[in-house]
Amino acid sequence: MMVPAPPVSPDRPIVSLRGITKRFSPTLLANDEIDFDLRAGEIHALLGENGAGKSTLMQILYGLYARDAGAILIDGAPMEMSGPQSAIACGIGMIHQEFMLVEPFTVTENLLMGGLALPGGARFDPAEAGARIRMLSEAYGLDVDPDAVVEHLPVGVRQRVEILKLLYRDARVLILDEPTAVLTPQEVQALFVVLRALRDAGRSIVIVTHKMQEVLAISDRVTVLRDGRRVATVATAATSEDELVRMMVGRSVSLTMERPPTSPGRVVLSVRQLVVGDATGAIKVAGLDLDLRAGEIVGIAGVDGNGQAELIESLFGLRPVASGGVSFGDEDITDWSPTRRRAAGIGYIPADRRRVGSLVELSILENAMLGDLGRYRRRDGLLDRRRGLDDARRLIERFGVRVSGPLFPAGKLSGGNLQKVVLGREVMREPDLLLVEQPSRGLDIGATRAVWSELLNQRSGSKAILLVSAELEEILNLSDRIAVMFGGKIAGLFDADQVDLATIGALMAGGRATPAQGGRS
Amino acid sequence: MTPYLVRRLTPLDSRLALAALYAGAIVAAVAAGGSMFALFGANPVTAYLSLIENAFFDLRGFGYTLVQATPLILVALGAIVAWRSGFMYLGFDGAMIVGSTTATAFALGAGPGLPLDMLPSTIVVALAVLVGAMAGALWSAIVAVLQVRTGGNTVLISLMTNYIAIVLVQFLVSGPMRAVGDQPQTSLIDRAFWLPIIIEGTRTHAGILIALVMAAVIFVLMEKSAVGYELVAAGLNQKAARYGGVDVGRRVVQAGLVAGALAGLAGAITILGVQHRLLDGLSQGAGFIGIVAALLGRLTVPGSVVASLLYSGLTVGADAMQRHTGLPSALVQVVQALIVLFVLAAEIARTHRIALRAPSAAKARA
Amino acid sequence: MSTIFDATFLVTWLAAGVRLSGPLLLAALGEIYAERSGVLNVGVEGTILIGALASYLAAVATGSPAIGILAAVGAALAASLLLAFFYVVVQASQVVVGIVFNVLALGLASVIYRAAMGDVPALTSAPMIESFSIPGLANLPAVGPILFQQSPMLYATLALAVAAGLVLYRTRFGLNLRAVGENPRAAAAAGLSVVRMRLLCILLSGVGAGLAGGYLVLCQVGLFRDTIVAGRGFIALAIVILGRWNPFAAILAAFAFGLADALGLSLQLLALPVAPQLFIALPYLMTVVAISGLFGRARSPAALMQPYQEE
Repeated sequence: MMVPAPPVSPDRPIVSLRGITKRFSPTLLANDEIDFDLRAGEIHALLGENGAGKSTLMQILYGLYARDAGAILIDGAPMEMSGPQSAIACGIGMIHQEFMLVEPFTVTENLLMGGLALPGGARFDPAEAGARIRMLSEAYGLDVDPDAVVEHLPVGVRQRVEILKLLYRDARVLILDEPTAVLTPQEVQALFVVLRALRDAGRSIVIVTHKMQEVLAISDRVTVLRDGRRVATVATAATSEDELVRMMVGRSVSLTMERPPTSPGRVVLSVRQLVVGDATGAIKVAGLDLDLRAGEIVGIAGVDGNGQAELIESLFGLRPVASGGVSFGDEDITDWSPTRRRAAGIGYIPADRRRVGSLVELSILENAMLGDLGRYRRRDGLLDRRRGLDDARRLIERFGVRVSGPLFPAGKLSGGNLQKVVLGREVMREPDLLLVEQPSRGLDIGATRAVWSELLNQRSGSKAILLVSAELEEILNLSDRIAVMFGGKIAGLFDADQVDLATIGALMAGGRATPAQGGRS
Repeated sequence: MTPYLVRRLTPLDSRLALAALYAGAIVAAVAAGGSMFALFGANPVTAYLSLIENAFFDLRGFGYTLVQATPLILVALGAIVAWRSGFMYLGFDGAMIVGSTTATAFALGAGPGLPLDMLPSTIVVALAVLVGAMAGALWSAIVAVLQVRTGGNTVLISLMTNYIAIVLVQFLVSGPMRAVGDQPQTSLIDRAFWLPIIIEGTRTHAGILIALVMAAVIFVLMEKSAVGYELVAAGLNQKAARYGGVDVGRRVVQAGLVAGALAGLAGAITILGVQHRLLDGLSQGAGFIGIVAALLGRLTVPGSVVASLLYSGLTVGADAMQRHTGLPSALVQVVQALIVLFVLAAEIARTHRIALRAPSAAKARA
Repeated sequence: MSTIFDATFLVTWLAAGVRLSGPLLLAALGEIYAERSGVLNVGVEGTILIGALASYLAAVATGSPAIGILAAVGAALAASLLLAFFYVVVQASQVVVGIVFNVLALGLASVIYRAAMGDVPALTSAPMIESFSIPGLANLPAVGPILFQQSPMLYATLALAVAAGLVLYRTRFGLNLRAVGENPRAAAAAGLSVVRMRLLCILLSGVGAGLAGGYLVLCQVGLFRDTIVAGRGFIALAIVILGRWNPFAAILAAFAFGLADALGLSLQLLALPVAPQLFIALPYLMTVVAISGLFGRARSPAALMQPYQEE
């Protein structure tokens, strides 16, 4: 039984944004006079690259950010949107990239928490609310237990709790910010089923995304943003992938890289029956085998959360190994510290360049020294700043970091430039093995191209690279061999030219490769 | 029209802006304090002048200022090392007390006829100071180990350890270490083991020299050395530091040892240079004022030294002011606190500004 | 020689323990609300002092302890507004602000007391709130003197503790409050004003502390000295942790500290070979062990001490 929204004329916009402008700093104009319309009973995709201003626009609509200029009209009437309570009162609900859930609370408590009166003027009665939530969950096929504590719920379920939150408030407008980032392809399909049902019942949905495939699969209309401005709004059926790309990046070509053939050399890294757990004792890597040769890139595809992060961390020595072994060349490095591994020739570019890969409060110089202090420690124990400055200047020049000098604070660099610093620093130490995680996350096309070029460069120089990425495009472009990780194991390992997207997708979701598709471990 | 606080697009970062904010804050605090002086019927200007004159321009008074500044400087140095390494230690009072206690015990054990009698007095003094520092180091290291091993709340645990130390001393001076008589205090330490006076005609003892030497050492440690880099990295971002090869746990414990050693040193020096006997209530809050001085100095060594001198001068001048004008010295304590509060409030001017806007216009929120 | 297990000693000690735990519990209750909303208010110590001074001066001036209590609350509210400004608006380090505030409070209290009473402390006794005996129950053996011959403030405090617990766990306000302390961003996204909630809770912690000060002066000591608080504010912080941010458990934790305090005093009457200081230190040691994480993490509100920035 679907709960229908009140009938609205299909053409008059429910939500209308006019001339929205928001500036975060002198160099960052996130929204530049953007207009946006949302009709009743539609799924409207908001498409753009990372940093295009999509999330910001929606945060403004939801009242979490204050706008610098422009107007918000709901049902044609201007609204002040002083905060989320105004948005919620207007029937707008938002599911953020980072879920807004209180971990120690139950699902019911999370839904009851808030600044507005309870729906229907109900009294505060957790038991009664729980029953109502259970009903809603069943009505929409969401399968959520109202008494479950959020802390123990997996990511996919948490998202359904967020959806339930919006339905509990009978939201007419649902905003979803990058909803599929944490879902397997299967879960994505399930989500789309729910969204279509909601749309058919008359509700309006905005999906903020940078994934074109999703736009084409689910949306009725799509608005493309680029560099804070609205480029165009088109009906999805009337456009194509190529046209969308062109609007997103201003070029009609998506990124493909030339990958010259190489012949892989000796085995650089050997992983045997690796088992790694996390802080709570859960097993994250469940007996993994892998060999990596000099001069090849092995890409590990998979949805975030299947053990990739734990694998890489344990390979670098940041996470203890429960059982199994790791060899680097001829040496057993299973218990080695990160410092020792670095000294032996292993480099690591972490997924979070701001919070792990660099110290943003310090300058480029000090960041260039990070990880190899031995090189900069003089005999008297003091830092060799001169050597550091030399190295930093060479880094800046070789990798094209756009900055005035090595004393510039790293935190003020753009994402692309910071990534160049991190990448450059690791590469300049000439490691034989590079562990790379999500190298182009949050970067624009130009920076992505630069990063990919450098990785391919290293490959040509007979280095071994282990690449973990949630972006299939990245995996496909760079890898010589592709492994799919699911549930802490390698579900399939293929030569890059012998596998197709469908197989990879199926394995990512936990399916099995048939022998006919060239599966090989 | 109501005023709103609006975030600045770029925080004011120039040296000039910062200096102006600081100066403005200090002036405002001093003026606010001055107006309280007026309530007592005194002329704020003359009161302040007599305070400054006594603290900084009178030989004996300046001597006192240096004496008072010594433990502040040392505690401030300890706060710099600890806090910048991510060890939010507040137990400097306790570490000072522990340092005083061990130094006293050692010095008393070296009197005539006692076990350590054969040592020359300079060695005794040096060892007493060293023992005090070591005791302070161990005292704070326990909390550091707890932070690293079990993730305990360092702020609250270290606050509790202060009370444990206070009670410990109360026990010792009423019992095992009590001198003959009824007073809760130990016997006087032999004159041979007192820190020498370095300025004729004042009570300024060698402790200030030790403090300044330590300031130079800590400056080099934190700003110029490789170890200092690792400490700062550990304090800024543990994950990134670990990624960069820093053994964060080891460095935090080392920072704790250094911080405690400095505070223990302060305690030992205070005993050997000022009181010459252990009694209840001797830290006089130096453990906290030292932290405040470090914060005023923005956790830099030169800033902390200057702030410590400023604060000790205020305290010394306050006593003189009370003697001359009858104004209660507690008023200066108020000024000391106001300075910090105004400086903290001035910080917000760095990142925000006030906008007077009619509510219907594009909104700004506090 | 009477031993520690002597019945009279036990009863006297337990009764004293209950009596002394009152102000501690009161201050702790307010602080629980502050910390549950994410603010660590180290300035409790100074606020108790201000409340104590205000209650003393007002009661002596008007001869009415009730006015004294009101004055304590008023003064504490003013102090808390100042603290709230720094915690919530300036968003300075909560620990730093609290410590500096305590220094400020000590200075101000000395100054104002001196100004009001002149240089020579006149040792004027404030009109006090007398303890009473609950008829019938007070005559029960052992339990009678311990539980039923206490100050009305104690009974009020216990009732307050129960009320505080019920509000925190059984009302929507309590749910919202806990949400703000666990995940302020989620709370804001749900339409709550983090700033307003924290402001309210800081004021509540101030009221608790101010009342505790009034309790000390008007129900226990009868005089004012600037050493009257003697670290009770910090003990209240310890009680909050020992009681795991739970008002019901705080009753027991406060009692533990009250017992230790009473023991120190009582033991001196017994002339035992064991140093009383050992027992005085015991609650602090207990707290260190409890929060050290040696026996599992005491789970504090996740957003405690973290400033919250709106865009």
